[in-house]
Amino acid sequence: MRKHGLKTAVVLCMDVGLTMSNSAPGEESSFELAKKVIQKFVQRQVFSETKIELALVLFGTDSTDNPLSQDGQYQNIRVHRHLRIPDCELLIEIENQVQPESKEGDWLDALVVCMDLLHTETKGKKYDCLNIALLTDLNTQTNEESLEVIINNLTQSGITMQFFLPFPVEEDKEGQGDSERRDPGHPGTGKGLSREQKKNMELVKEMMLSLDVEDGLDEIHTFRNAIEELCMFKRVERRPVAWPCQLTIGSSLSIRIVGYKAVTDEKPKKMWITVDAQSHQKDDVKRETVYCLDDDNETEVQKDDIIQGFRYGSDIVPFSKVDQEQMKYKHDGKCFAVLGFTKQSAVIHRHQFMGSQILKIFAARDDEHAGVALSALIRALNELQMVAIVRYAYNRTSNPQVGAAFPCIKQDSECLMYVQLPFMEDLRHFTFPSLENKKFTPSDAQLSAVDSLIDSMMLVEEDENGEQRDLFKPHRIPNPAFQRHFQCLHHRAVSPGTPLPPIEPWLKAALDRPEVITERCQDPLDVLKRKFPLTEVEKKKKLKTSAQIFEESEAKKVKEDEAEEYNLANIAEGSVTSVRIRGRQLTHRIEQLLSNKNTQYYMKSITCIQAFREQSVKLANAEHYNSYLQSLKGSIPNRGLEVFWELLVQGMICLFT
Amino acid sequence: CDVWERVSTGILTTESTRSPSSIGDYKITGRDSLVFLVDASKEMFIKGEDGEPSNFDMTMQVVRTVYTSKIISSDKDLVALVFYGTEESKNPRNSFKHVYVYHDLSEPGAKRVQEVDALRGEKGAKLAAETIGSGETSLGDALWCCANLYSDIKLRLSHKRLMIFTCRDEPHGGDSVKDRQARTKASDLKETGVVIDLMHLMKPGGFDISLFFCDIVSPPEDESELGLQLQPSDKLEDLLKRVRAKELKKRALARLNLCLGEGINVAVGIYATAVAARKPGSIKLYRETNEPVRSKTRTFHTQTGSLLLPSEIKKAQYYGGKEIVMERDEVDAIKKFDDPGLFLIGFKPMEKLKLHHHIRPAVFLYPEEDEVKGSSCLFSALLKKCSERNVFALCRFISRRNYPPRFVALLPQNEELDEGKVQITPPGFNVIYLPFADDFRTLDPPQFPSASQTQVDKMKEIVSKLRFKYRSEGFENPVIQQHFRNLEALALDMMAPEEIEDLIMPKVDQIDQRLGPLVQEFKDLVYPAYYNPESKPAAKRKTADTGGGAEKKPKVELTEDELKAHVQNNTLVKLTVPVLKDACKQFGVRTTGTKKQELIDALIARLRS
Repeated sequence: MRKHGLKTAVVLCMDVGLTMSNSAPGEESSFELAKKVIQKFVQRQVFSETKIELALVLFGTDSTDNPLSQDGQYQNIRVHRHLRIPDCELLIEIENQVQPESKEGDWLDALVVCMDLLHTETKGKKYDCLNIALLTDLNTQTNEESLEVIINNLTQSGITMQFFLPFPVEEDKEGQGDSERRDPGHPGTGKGLSREQKKNMELVKEMMLSLDVEDGLDEIHTFRNAIEELCMFKRVERRPVAWPCQLTIGSSLSIRIVGYKAVTDEKPKKMWITVDAQSHQKDDVKRETVYCLDDDNETEVQKDDIIQGFRYGSDIVPFSKVDQEQMKYKHDGKCFAVLGFTKQSAVIHRHQFMGSQILKIFAARDDEHAGVALSALIRALNELQMVAIVRYAYNRTSNPQVGAAFPCIKQDSECLMYVQLPFMEDLRHFTFPSLENKKFTPSDAQLSAVDSLIDSMMLVEEDENGEQRDLFKPHRIPNPAFQRHFQCLHHRAVSPGTPLPPIEPWLKAALDRPEVITERCQDPLDVLKRKFPLTEVEKKKKLKTSAQIFEESEAKKVKEDEAEEYNLANIAEGSVTSVRIRGRQLTHRIEQLLSNKNTQYYMKSITCIQAFREQSVKLANAEHYNSYLQSLKGSIPNRGLEVFWELLVQGMICLFT
Repeated sequence: CDVWERVSTGILTTESTRSPSSIGDYKITGRDSLVFLVDASKEMFIKGEDGEPSNFDMTMQVVRTVYTSKIISSDKDLVALVFYGTEESKNPRNSFKHVYVYHDLSEPGAKRVQEVDALRGEKGAKLAAETIGSGETSLGDALWCCANLYSDIKLRLSHKRLMIFTCRDEPHGGDSVKDRQARTKASDLKETGVVIDLMHLMKPGGFDISLFFCDIVSPPEDESELGLQLQPSDKLEDLLKRVRAKELKKRALARLNLCLGEGINVAVGIYATAVAARKPGSIKLYRETNEPVRSKTRTFHTQTGSLLLPSEIKKAQYYGGKEIVMERDEVDAIKKFDDPGLFLIGFKPMEKLKLHHHIRPAVFLYPEEDEVKGSSCLFSALLKKCSERNVFALCRFISRRNYPPRFVALLPQNEELDEGKVQITPPGFNVIYLPFADDFRTLDPPQFPSASQTQVDKMKEIVSKLRFKYRSEGFENPVIQQHFRNLEALALDMMAPEEIEDLIMPKVDQIDQRLGPLVQEFKDLVYPAYYNPESKPAAKRKTADTGGGAEKKPKVELTEDELKAHVQNNTLVKLTVPVLKDACKQFGVRTTGTKKQELIDALIARLRS
């Protein structure tokens, strides 16, 4: 299932028959597990928008619906969906229509139906990969005579097979004796298998070993492993784009290179679009920006009458686009030119890396001479422990950078790694008070407490074989933001109208401290807690941000003095009466409230102003509101209401975001 | 300050324009301000030996640099330039003698830069002598005058700093009344939140702070003796460094907790120490008057035309043939995993931090004793031990509300001072953002034979020849510099902008000269005689890769009428050369040339006849 060629067709073939619903108490049935595998797989395809085509065949169904069914043959097999690109509809169907049924279906028959489906529906088109994934507990009567024909047919048409079973395959390795070896996570293994299952298992093995695949048994998976693996949405993958250029040292030494983005802060592919709440149509919503002069009438200015300018300190300098284009810094375009070489460690600070990416620079493909020349540079830098400082420009229109090219030598490849370095303008030299201060100097006892904490929390350790084991690798964790995003989209697509689900437990666990560490560090943490007294500072008059004050009083507002509130509500909630009257009442009230310089009253005024604003928006008449706010703003300094104004600004912004 | 503008411009905006890049919504509540109080006594104008610039000259250079850097990086900050010990007097109510307010507190602009420039060098000294002159000194009056500058400002000031530049350690020559008056005024200023720094300059016999100035300046932040042990500056670079260090107010992007375990929270501040400087955005002006216009954005219903409230809008994404719709607050809620903070996962040896695990610039961590008492001590212990054992702390980091987590490495950084006891690197942790699995791209690296040791050795010679000492402040951004030079030229009506030096351009001639025959020797070792790395690769295999030439665009055939229309409307130029060629063939036009104009001319001739 993991193969993603250029064009791929996959048939998911799932057993929904009687025995699939069996389960040990407290355990999920095979049916439930298999359904999860299918859901996760389809989910993955839908949200990564691959062009893989998918069909769904069910067997063990009560009804029969397939092109081969005739004269009592190929019964209880239903083609649920023909080969198509998977969509949300399919997710919904799987959620609602794939249910346990009560018949028994022959998995070999079902396989033939799948092969036939692939044959007919891919005819005349080119595919790189044809695949059938069979999910079953193998607990059915099978007509094994056809096995050989099926194997031949699979081989001829180049169809690959994958099996998903409730139990792991037992490899007949030399030591027959350890057939007792069972994975505790997989009940129903070994002795627990029925006669049918054992017999079928042999057939599966025979089939997988005779197909022309390396290590065919590797394509037999258990439900649980598959779910774990599929849980992580396919990571967002992008095709690397080659950037051909020349590395130059001076005027006469150049090496043909090609650069690729190797590491970069990957952003979600799709943005949210704004739609109308009722129709869900984006075309119903339009955003428009108008410009106006900063005068009392807010005189609107046409777009054509607007020119561009820039601030130069206190000055505003008109600077047209044409002039700007003409006078701006220009350069010769794409380049990767060495400015010089410098020592690696002492000078280049890791925390001064800029930009959001790492480029890997290789010699141009199929150019062995460039390969040797670049290799000489990479190895020279590596032996001298130096880096090249280079000027890098992606193309003519992009801004040139200064950066460092580090040598990187791996077993099978050599390259330069380029990272951007700061310009003088980017750096901020802050000074901080020294921590070598008597008040903060930790005692020896305190230092040793930290020491043992570090000991207990080392994430890299050597196992008994002397091999290093890293317990926590962030670069192996899929970006949780994407995982959560797709989880929620899936949920909303399948079950609209219901609240979003909680974060999946596996994801939470992946982001947390490993359990071993949690256990190990408990005692050192307790010691640390005793040794380092930490007390939250109660500020006598804690300077709250206005946003906090706002939030708090928003929360309190409802309960507190409702008597006062009803007044406001009455004034604020007009139906269609003219804004002017409402406005006058409201502004009167605001002025009243503002005569008390007190946060409590400020908050009430702000509520009024918000009500006023909402009214104005509702009735699309902002004139009075805007002019009142203008005059209010003007009067702030005289009335000493700066604190109020700030709260207002914060409050409005809180609302708008 | 920006917030102020936003409310007035965005009164009817339904969605705020939040800048998505920066972390932490740390609110800025006022302007920063800086007053340069410069001694203008005769001693300041004495030139050093060997024609070294005078202290006054050096100070003006520093003031200019600060002005221009403020214009580039923080143009809302207020700056003033005041001279004391002058002959002439100029101040708002002219109530102080021998105090000359050259620039009052406001945003620096092009004109001010020019005016400071005018005071530099030989000419500058002359101009200074003419306009301000040197006279009696009363630092008390000067400080009083500065206090008035602050109080005359209607804007709210968040950070107030005053820097005294002088080379006289006894400005009043032992006049105890004047000394006392100055001390009183200084303490008044300090009480209103003004931080007073001394930028003392070299004088013969050394500068003794303890004689007078120790009572004037603000105590250093950390209450250690550090600030007062400073040597006087005799070099411009030194002075600049000292001014730079003080001039920028550090602001935390966020204050949050570093949680080591249940109930063990260290309060820390997050600071951005390296932020990509960008060209500032343009502002829109009304063509007729050049006054700035305000923009108002409205969201309305296309059919009814009525304004839409936030509640009347939802968000959607399109996947798998379906519009998946969410409420606006759900979109935020999806991103929320936990409250902002740093949570310790564990420690790793430093070599486990891979060089290429880089996705964005680092930030800096420093304890906030004011939030949680005891933070500095635990932080300090952690820093010390991590540094000693050469390990980094791995943390889960949520930088602000409704932001998904990232993993970060906390790298210990010890404090470093230079010879002059100026801090070069502050103590704290550098926070390195680590990539997730999605941030890596799968590459298929080309395979080549490795270079031989002879080839490597030759390259090592080249590398050694071009060795230099990299300094991170060594490169200016030519794009930004050019932009501001352009603006400067326009603002000051200069004929042409000042030339900039592109520091990130390779000095090709120098390189060639240094390398001499090494380049040819290296090329002889790695390149065969016929090989030219400048030429395009011989055969493009593109066609093979993309699956044959089946992708050729379908031919666009033009009818005679269409072509005639083109001729009539003079729009033939808009067609592409292949289309024109096909048209020629189609109408049996024989052309001698293949240039576009030739084809067009031929077609016109044929169709008009």
